[in-house]
Amino acid sequence: MLLDGVDLRLAGQGITTLGGPSGSGKTTLLRILGLLSDPDEGQLLLDGEDVRTLTPHAARRRIALVAQAPVMFPGTVLDNVRTGPRLAGEELPEATSRELVLRAGLPPELLDQDAQSLSGGEKLRVAVARALALRPEVWLLDEPTAALDQNRANLLVRLLRELATEGAAILVVTHDARVLDQLEGPHFQLASGRLVEARPLSGDAS
Amino acid sequence: MSYVSVSFPQLLLSLGLMAMAIAISSHNRLGLERDLAVGTFRAAVQLFAVGLLLTFVFQNQNEHPSTVFGVIAVMVVVGGWTAARRIAHGPGTAVLFRYATFAVLVAGVVVLVPVFLFVIRPPRWYEARLLIPISGMILSNAMNGVALVFERVFAAVNEDVAGVEQLLSLGATPRQAVERHVRAAMNAALRPTINALLTVGLVALPGMMTGQIVSGTAPDEAVRYQLVIMYQLVAVAAVAGALAARFARALSFNEREQLRTFPDPRVR
Repeated sequence: MLLDGVDLRLAGQGITTLGGPSGSGKTTLLRILGLLSDPDEGQLLLDGEDVRTLTPHAARRRIALVAQAPVMFPGTVLDNVRTGPRLAGEELPEATSRELVLRAGLPPELLDQDAQSLSGGEKLRVAVARALALRPEVWLLDEPTAALDQNRANLLVRLLRELATEGAAILVVTHDARVLDQLEGPHFQLASGRLVEARPLSGDAS
Repeated sequence: MSYVSVSFPQLLLSLGLMAMAIAISSHNRLGLERDLAVGTFRAAVQLFAVGLLLTFVFQNQNEHPSTVFGVIAVMVVVGGWTAARRIAHGPGTAVLFRYATFAVLVAGVVVLVPVFLFVIRPPRWYEARLLIPISGMILSNAMNGVALVFERVFAAVNEDVAGVEQLLSLGATPRQAVERHVRAAMNAALRPTINALLTVGLVALPGMMTGQIVSGTAPDEAVRYQLVIMYQLVAVAAVAGALAARFARALSFNEREQLRTFPDPRVR
């Protein structure tokens, strides 16, 4: 069994961090929270509703899952940023895409570039902009600063704080001390499939 | 014009052709001698068996028209089974067999029935001489279409798990998440038939037309017949491919719209 007895509550307006050795089940947990896998047992609530009662693709729009090495779809950065809304039949205006890319910490000139030719750090920020386009309520990020330098890692942390302030519930899987030092929210460790709270929630954040 | 038949002694003479191929293989150390020898024998046994079966069906079709449809039913089932075999990264032959057979059957019925009813119009509705060979050609093309689509869809999705799941994460329906792969697979399934359509007559004459001309049919008549068949081949590949694509897509996801991954193939 990969995960056992995991009880995790992600509060709106809060950033939770999660660490643990590789193979401890972090990615599995993110996949379950991102609705890409189902747990054998247990329940997953999104805003109080059992996700099994929701239409999966509609529920996934509310949850951003940013992988450690995100896949870029064929086409430009603009195409990538527009993907989410396009899947729902909406066309994101170019000006909005520009703002999202800027907000994710990328220069807007990148919009017309081939997304697959970008560096790892740039791809990650495109993935963030791509997720921003759907205004998700929940953010799940897997080692988001691994390919970022100090400056860009700080920018990302600042963005995550802003998103939390705007109401999002955020879970960051990270070992990066630069991130952990800046985030004072609850911190958990996964150890052989069990969740251990390493730093308690400060104050009420429900 | 009269039909020129090939007698048994004449057939034996043609074994010299296989001896030629075996000699070339042996001389160049291709290691194909055994396969060639087995193939020579197997081809003969299979074709003679089919010949006997057809002779039997032709002789009994008036008393038992159902034997004609029995033969066609066997073609459908064998076609479905063949299309479902050796599909890597899929749910396995046992599961795919049902879907493949259904796709071959439906595509065959949709394409064959109207052509027999309105275009070819056999003198008797169970005319084995027409129904069996034409159904055989059409059903085998359906089989190839299904096999290609299954093979391609499951392989492409397996190669692009991260991409498909990324699309799902962004709210794609299963249909949207594999749309690119499904389209490419259907394209690949239609390609061989379309190529045949484009080059027919330029390099080689199609087998059926050749057969008709050899056995004494006027070329212009053989051409009209062949054209009907070719259009049927295209239509059946399209219908079978579209059905197979739909099934492959449905089989790639669970009811929670999550991508299913299949353990590495032991489907042989």
